[in-house]
Amino acid sequence: MSSAPIRNEIRFLLNGREVTVRDVAPDATLLDWLRLDRSMRGTKEGCAEGDCGACTVLVGKLTAGGLVYESVNACIRFLGSLDGCHVVTIEHVQPVGGDLHPVQKAMIDFHGSQCGFCTPGFVMSLYGLWMKDANPSDATIEKALQGNLCRCTGYEAIMRAARAISDYGKGASDPLAVERAAVIEKLTKLRDGARVEVGSGKARLVVPADVDDFAAVLEAEPKATIVAGSTDVGLWVTKHMRDISPVVFIGHLEGLRRISEKDGVITIGAGVTYTEAFDLLSQRIPALGELINRIGGEQVRNMGTIGGNIANGSPIGDTPPPFIALGATLTLRKGAERRTIPLEEFFIAYGKQDRQPGEFVEAVHVPVPAKDSRFAVYKISKRRDEDITAALGAFHLTLAADGTVAQIRIAYGGMAATPKRAAAVEAVLTGKPWTEVTVEAALEAYAQDFTPLTDMRASAEYRMLAARNLLRRFFAETQGGSEPIQVSRHQAA
Amino acid sequence: MSKEAPAPRENMGAPVPRFDARLKVTGGATYPADIPVADLAYGVLVTSLVARGSLAQLHTDKAATVPGFLGLFRHGDMAGTQPPKFGVAASSIGPLHGDRIFHDGQIIALVVAETYEAAMEAASLVTAEYDEERPSAGFDTQGTETTPGAGASPLFGEDVHAGDFDAAYAAAPVKIDEHYSTPTQHHNPIELFSTTAAWRGDQLTIYEPTQNVTGWKTELSRQLGIDPNRVRVISPYVGGAFGSKGPMTARTAIVAVAARRLGRPVRCVVTRMQAYGTQTYRAETRHRVRIGAERGGHITAFGHEGWEVTSRPDAYVVGGTIATGRLYAYGSVATHVDLVHADRNTPGYMRSPPETPYVYALENAMDEMAVALAMDPIEFRRVNEPTREPIGGKPFSSRSLLACYDEASKAFGWSDRESAVGSMRDGDWMIGMGCATAVYPTNIAPCAARVQLMADGHARVQCGCHEIGTGIRTVAGQMAAERLGVELTKVSVEMGDSALPPAPVSGGSNSTASVCSAVMKACDAIRNRLFLAVSGEGAPLAGAANSGMSLGNGQVIAADGRTVTLADAFATLQTVLIEEYAEFTPKGASPQALKKLYAGQPEFRGGERDDAVKYAFGAELVEVRIHTLTREIRIPRIVGAFAAGRIMNPRTARSQLMGGMIWGIGSALQEETEVDPRNARYVNKDLQDYLVPVNADIGDVQVILVPETDPQVNPAGVKGLGELGNVGTPAAVASAVYHATGIRVRDLPIRLDNLLT
Ligand SMILES: Cc1cc2nc3c(=O)[nH]c(=O)nc-3n(C[C@H](O)[C@H](O)[C@H](O)COP(=O)(O)OP(=O)(O)OC[C@H]3O[C@@H](n4cnc5c(N)ncnc54)[C@H](O)[C@@H]3O)c2cc1C
Ligand code: FES
Ligand code: FES
Repeated sequence: MSSAPIRNEIRFLLNGREVTVRDVAPDATLLDWLRLDRSMRGTKEGCAEGDCGACTVLVGKLTAGGLVYESVNACIRFLGSLDGCHVVTIEHVQPVGGDLHPVQKAMIDFHGSQCGFCTPGFVMSLYGLWMKDANPSDATIEKALQGNLCRCTGYEAIMRAARAISDYGKGASDPLAVERAAVIEKLTKLRDGARVEVGSGKARLVVPADVDDFAAVLEAEPKATIVAGSTDVGLWVTKHMRDISPVVFIGHLEGLRRISEKDGVITIGAGVTYTEAFDLLSQRIPALGELINRIGGEQVRNMGTIGGNIANGSPIGDTPPPFIALGATLTLRKGAERRTIPLEEFFIAYGKQDRQPGEFVEAVHVPVPAKDSRFAVYKISKRRDEDITAALGAFHLTLAADGTVAQIRIAYGGMAATPKRAAAVEAVLTGKPWTEVTVEAALEAYAQDFTPLTDMRASAEYRMLAARNLLRRFFAETQGGSEPIQVSRHQAA
Repeated sequence: MSKEAPAPRENMGAPVPRFDARLKVTGGATYPADIPVADLAYGVLVTSLVARGSLAQLHTDKAATVPGFLGLFRHGDMAGTQPPKFGVAASSIGPLHGDRIFHDGQIIALVVAETYEAAMEAASLVTAEYDEERPSAGFDTQGTETTPGAGASPLFGEDVHAGDFDAAYAAAPVKIDEHYSTPTQHHNPIELFSTTAAWRGDQLTIYEPTQNVTGWKTELSRQLGIDPNRVRVISPYVGGAFGSKGPMTARTAIVAVAARRLGRPVRCVVTRMQAYGTQTYRAETRHRVRIGAERGGHITAFGHEGWEVTSRPDAYVVGGTIATGRLYAYGSVATHVDLVHADRNTPGYMRSPPETPYVYALENAMDEMAVALAMDPIEFRRVNEPTREPIGGKPFSSRSLLACYDEASKAFGWSDRESAVGSMRDGDWMIGMGCATAVYPTNIAPCAARVQLMADGHARVQCGCHEIGTGIRTVAGQMAAERLGVELTKVSVEMGDSALPPAPVSGGSNSTASVCSAVMKACDAIRNRLFLAVSGEGAPLAGAANSGMSLGNGQVIAADGRTVTLADAFATLQTVLIEEYAEFTPKGASPQALKKLYAGQPEFRGGERDDAVKYAFGAELVEVRIHTLTREIRIPRIVGAFAAGRIMNPRTARSQLMGGMIWGIGSALQEETEVDPRNARYVNKDLQDYLVPVNADIGDVQVILVPETDPQVNPAGVKGLGELGNVGTPAAVASAVYHATGIRVRDLPIRLDNLLT
């Protein structure tokens, strides 16, 4: 057992104040708490499912690199996960004693709102962006706004406002800049190394002190729901009314938030968010950087973890297929015991993964493709951004010196009940010369590997055709012919 | 100050930023569910899991054990109240007035508790048993009933006809006969629907996002059986409406009854998912379009038949043939509309309700005809430009469609389009360019407004209209500032409250015309009083002719150049405030028009109802790119040119039109509520699966405001344009997709699957 002291309340900073919450349900969301308990109604609710961004607030946390603020969806962020954080809402954007923030001024001048309901969320997303990058490129702005829907303006005006923000001053009186040192001091003080336990019986939440403590908590309570970024679990609550108690929050655990490379293998701790993984992954495996940019919106990427994406076991989760194609392995831990398995073996059937009671995902290990191999991943969705995958294919090819296929690993999402390798297709290709004839001959084998479903995202026929075309596409790319499929609209235009 | 606003052209006002922008960017704008109310209890709806049958049993015991549970309202609890009347009410279905289930997602109970969480939990514990019958989901399902649209609704009197269609069509050397369809769509404004009801004694206040405070006040008081003066509806800001907040749903009265029974204010915020079955939606439609033409392109015969899904009890008519039958110089016209009654909730108005589906069908057919004639599609429209509309032979009050095509073509570079299908390509992307016409009637209704002018140059405008995002608050303020010659910053505008002078429902893009006309009338009355006072004997401008006087810079100015400050002018009247209450009625209104306005039943004029046809027009040109291997569709750019009479504020106008075109892109490629044919249930009831366009879907959008002066259309000279922008877009996209691929998609939305070859 861990020897961490126990605290029975959640403590965090809300705008300019420290708050202590003793009476908090494990599934209480930050948005409900703000609007209903605190009567702070500048933050809006548009969906309660992480889709619209009307509820966007910033959450600041102390990281290895200092105090970092990120935009998050308050509607699917559980209050319990905020222990030791700084929550910043629209009410805290105006400079102290000053007029409007540059972000707000730009939004007014460029007519960035009509009905205005989405506006606080856009302001917060842009504020988060502006803090990181005062002169962002269009691509960066678009990325920051992917998770914000506006039904009225058509976005153009908001884009223009975003480009112009820095014309409205440097924001020396920006509240978060002014308070920065004080906030760091306060947050540091809040870190008491305690395990937080609130509630009892079924309505119980635990915020473990560290990873060992987490392991202990989970062994003692193997039925507890693990919550990392809550971008999947949040919806179980707000949309499906599922009872998730007791809950163990792990998003804050430094021990799970490490990403590093050693001997050509990138190890990603289960608590690493998409945003945190982006730099290293996009640098070492650029195709994965591109893919991450198309997962959810910025808020979801700031909260959602790669570990959660894997552990959730969804057939349309975006990271398992490329990881499988790269030959990734997964480390699971129970108490002090660990085991490491090939990632594809983790996915047993729809909704069923190879995870024992009391066990958790600790890390995924992703080999960087060798210099002489080719790797690509293609995501097809109806909408360009913030859309769930209709079909996703990942390909990893190594050719022998004579131009034959030494090894090819192909994995798809959206084509079966789990992320799945195209074993029959791989078998047909392996050992053959890498030519159009070989590729065309392999297409038939897709019927052995997959029998996709028809749903509103795509029909079975479309999925099958798209899956086959992705192999063709991959082949064409290896011939140096075409540019990648996932061009941004600027490239397309 | 007004950066990035389009420069006003001829007959356009100043592009001032909106009044409420500051409140909106600071989170200070209060939407109805934000309004603090003391001692609030929370309501959560329980909805039906079957689409047809009756409610046999409702098990509520478990719900009642939840700590904080206050009450549950169900079938029988509306006793003593009247069921809703379809019209101002969204449907005649009064869900708790009987045990009958008319559609999936129908309200079967309202659970109220001390907290939102407790209400949610209690609601989740309510279970129901049904005597279930097999439902009809809509087209192509068993058990639907088809009835004629003509005469079924006051808004759709008859099917329009002209000439001998059959003969002309038979004789036409070039013709097409095709079917088109549009899907169910839900408005999905970003604000959630909600009702808050608070009684103080026998006085009821409703806080709810609405486009019709006066209509709701009247209808709600009728349902509750109380005097309309005891009901007040407040809706200061509305988080997007698009028609969804026009009709009052059954929930409003249910929450009011619950609040009365519990003796506490109740707030009920509807989840996004529940909104699909408890609000209205755009009905799915099917069309058969026949066009016959001479080889030179002149259309000799136009036939348009439509079928529209509606609920069992209500005859909601989409009825876009009224507009399509008048759009071009057809030699002959035959139209017919049928309603298909199914076990569905009642559809309703959604942004350009008749035009969006019907003009889509017409314009897609026009493109097909242009192909059949081997003509450029814009040229084909030019050839068929009418001098009078074909149905009644009336002139158009103004019509700048060709000017719109000219300006749009130039900006777009239409002349670079290679006419052969599939001839334009860029690497792996097939390029297509298409066009379509947008049209929307200029409606206008009676409206009242109160305006006060203060001696210090401040003015105050009060009107029970609704700021749903269109900028009407700003535009009404501009009108007052302009007529009273004061600075806009000194004008305050109050709206969104049934205690204010009544305005018509904010639907049919009538608000700018109606409200501005009323505000103008009140301002002019103030002007007259001032002019009279200052020109009297011994007054500062004694002897000056009133007709030549004007107001400007806080002064009264005589034709001969003499001026007097407002303060001195007011002094002659021995007052510091002049107030005028004006009631505007459009030309041709009936003698009961004003009475009906106060009763929340405004009478509409304009469109095709007057001596001249009053329509606004636009031309939309779009480029699509389709990937050769994956068939992914992208829209890198779209240009729309629109003419809509006097443009009060180019900034808000442009924003409306731009937002409209984005809606059109959503309609073309994404938006569709899927209905499960087996159980008549909506499938994709959230923003994850009901796709609306996101920022990155949108390429370059260009809006051109084409100058147009139309003194005949209404006193303010303005045509509504909030619903114009989205009308042409889907057909323009379909046209471009055809041009890129040779594949004609007739059923919206255009899916990746449609483009498989
Ligand atoms: C608006 C929106 C858009 C989205 N778009 C995409 C998309 O484009 N592509 C995509 O793939 N996904 C998408 N998602 C889903 C989601 O963001 C991802 O699956 C995310 O990676 C989940 O991570 P999380 O940390 O939020 O997981 P959580 O919600 O916290 O947990 C998910 C599951 O994993 C379990 N879990 C978490 N951590 C561990 C652990 N260490 N050990 C064992 N079990 C664990 C939880 O118990 C739960 O079952 C989207 C979600 C939203 C709300
Ligand atoms: S309310 Fe829509 S994302 Fe949170
Ligand atoms: S302004 Fe209405 S949703 Fe954005």
